[in-house]
Amino acid sequence: MGAGMLDEMRVEPPGDAPRPMPSDDAHLADHLQAALNGVPAAIFTFDQSLNLIFANDRVTTLLGAAPEQLAECSTVFDLLAACKGLDYVTAQRVGGAVLAATASNEPRHPPIALSPGDAKTAFNLQISKSGSDHWMVLFEDVTARRAAESEAIPQTLRDPLTGLPNRKHLNDRIADVVATVIGRTQVWMILVDLDRFKTVNDTLGHPIGDAVLKIVGRRLTSAMRDSDEVARLGGDEFALLIRGRPEPEAVATVARRLIDVLGRPYLIEGHLIHIGASLGIASSQDISEHDHLFKNADLALYAAKKAGRNTFSFFDPAMEARAHKRRAMEIDLRKAIALRQFELHYQPQIDLDLNTITGFEALVRWRHPEHGLVPPNDFIPLAEEIGLIVAIGEWVLREACRDAVHWPESISVAVNVSPCQFENAAALVTSIEKALKASGLPGNRLEVEITESVLLRKESAVLSALHAMRALGVRIAMDDFGTGYSSLSQLSSFPFDKIKIDRSFVTSKGDCKDQNAIVRAITALGISLGMATIAEGVETSEELARIRANGCTSVQGYHFSRPLPIEQVDGLIAGFAARHPIATPQAA
Amino acid sequence: MTLYRILYCSRSELADSPAAGAEEIRQILAKSRANNARDDITGGLFFSNQCFAQVLEGPAEKVEETFERIQCDMRHRDVTVLEAGPIATRDFPAWSMAFTGSTDASAFGQAVLSAAFSGQTQAGDKLLDILRSVVVREDEWLANEAA
Repeated sequence: MGAGMLDEMRVEPPGDAPRPMPSDDAHLADHLQAALNGVPAAIFTFDQSLNLIFANDRVTTLLGAAPEQLAECSTVFDLLAACKGLDYVTAQRVGGAVLAATASNEPRHPPIALSPGDAKTAFNLQISKSGSDHWMVLFEDVTARRAAESEAIPQTLRDPLTGLPNRKHLNDRIADVVATVIGRTQVWMILVDLDRFKTVNDTLGHPIGDAVLKIVGRRLTSAMRDSDEVARLGGDEFALLIRGRPEPEAVATVARRLIDVLGRPYLIEGHLIHIGASLGIASSQDISEHDHLFKNADLALYAAKKAGRNTFSFFDPAMEARAHKRRAMEIDLRKAIALRQFELHYQPQIDLDLNTITGFEALVRWRHPEHGLVPPNDFIPLAEEIGLIVAIGEWVLREACRDAVHWPESISVAVNVSPCQFENAAALVTSIEKALKASGLPGNRLEVEITESVLLRKESAVLSALHAMRALGVRIAMDDFGTGYSSLSQLSSFPFDKIKIDRSFVTSKGDCKDQNAIVRAITALGISLGMATIAEGVETSEELARIRANGCTSVQGYHFSRPLPIEQVDGLIAGFAARHPIATPQAA
Repeated sequence: MTLYRILYCSRSELADSPAAGAEEIRQILAKSRANNARDDITGGLFFSNQCFAQVLEGPAEKVEETFERIQCDMRHRDVTVLEAGPIATRDFPAWSMAFTGSTDASAFGQAVLSAAFSGQTQAGDKLLDILRSVVVREDEWLANEAA
């Protein structure tokens, strides 16, 4: 830069009187101040005690602090309060970041969505040291740049529905951005997956589902800084890329905010829609290749979903080990049917008035060659997730019917059917039909147990499948009743033959007053609706007496028998009456 | 044209100090006034003990737009909708606002808000009643502010 240019940049002080020749220091200060006023960013400096030293003109023009007010500010907080262009929360967050920076003596580039008012001005915020005991805060106006950048993304790299960048664009960005920061905490990825979105599509239709996705895109964009990348990966999956080295706590704050914002109700064409979001978070610190960022975020997302949804998880290397274990189990599970590793155990259902076994519930077990007997909770969810439940379910139906046909005619068999099997409801009916035909078991000796989640989607295919089963003589039982929504409309949507009272109302807790009331109410409900009721999980004689005193006369549980392998079932049937002589009902 | 009403409550992320909070509320009010007049929306905003309750009435489409704008606002959280549906006539013929700062919070209002957040039934109806009874205080509040 030549001397002439420097002269031009000199700013004369206000007032008419010619100024005395400045000393070199004063001259330099003037010159610097003019230079700082020329920077297209709001800048202010302060000392370690947060006393304000200098603020450039852009603090007025960009952040809306009136000059006369600015003159009265003595601390950083006075200044932030004077910035009318920053809303209160943003100002508070900037203040917090300043405090954190000075306390830790480290520069910050906090991930703060700066959206002063509704203007949607985009800022980059930097808090850095200037000299040994001075600090500088810089708000860079990047509105135009962001707009240009976002304009610059071609249509082919955009999701047509939301207008957000697509997966391909994000992959390119990751390749560019992450390649330089592998192994360092510089870039974070947040994968966002909507919870209960499928239900919206299923119940309200795709146009409403699409409208939800559009709004989700807008809410994500408005909740993030403009320097962050927001992309739609497809379906109900979105991804965010946060740059600028934020601390994990700051990222967690962002995650909590996203979960809150996405979980707020959506009002679309008169429908009030509630969905949620699960978030998986990964940092460039934990990766050795750029595409691992996606993989790690995905593992974290999986953990968040497992943790009950509507929550977030950070990637943790142990997740990889678990994922590995899960994959191994998946491979084993796929082989298990062919290798005949499944077996059925049967738990008797007792009619207390008749003192007889009226049926058995078939419960599937997996005899793993190395891990021994695997309980259903350890493999059914995985089987449901990978779609294997359909094949397992068919096997269970066939095997249960084949076993039950050898029992006395008064004894039926109950089989659990997973909601996943109802995804192809017609095929389910066919497999029931085949199982009955192949075994020769009359339809009225088969009972199908479903949970209310089967009915939540209110699909006509589900209802017609249930009616088709009924036409075969098969009875339908509502399992786990009293948990979940337990909506009475569920009970009226289909004429169930039986309601299974969930074990949580059977296992004695405290004085059991509430439990008793619930058992009584469900039993009475069953009587008025013409549905049988059975209590599950009866383990002690005290519980049995209680259930009985509350009007329920059909029970199942360890008090009578644990689930038994098929070889022991005949013996149980033969010896039951002898071992359980009719007891007089006890008073509660 | 279908008239629609939505009633929600939420928790404030505004300043704890009454003065700063009041300033924020003043800004929200000014903004809402302009937007709502344009969009033919009427209703009331109630602020007490760091909680908002707001009722919006107007053409369905405009109510949806306004509600979504509010949903993107980071100055509140835990948005809970207490009532939403078509209405025959407006309960709030004008856009109004009721404000009670945290210093003079009405115990009654506080109780209703906590009931709303805990999902008690009838909370929506009660809240509407409160809004109807207190919106008249807006002028009073604005007069105090101006003084």
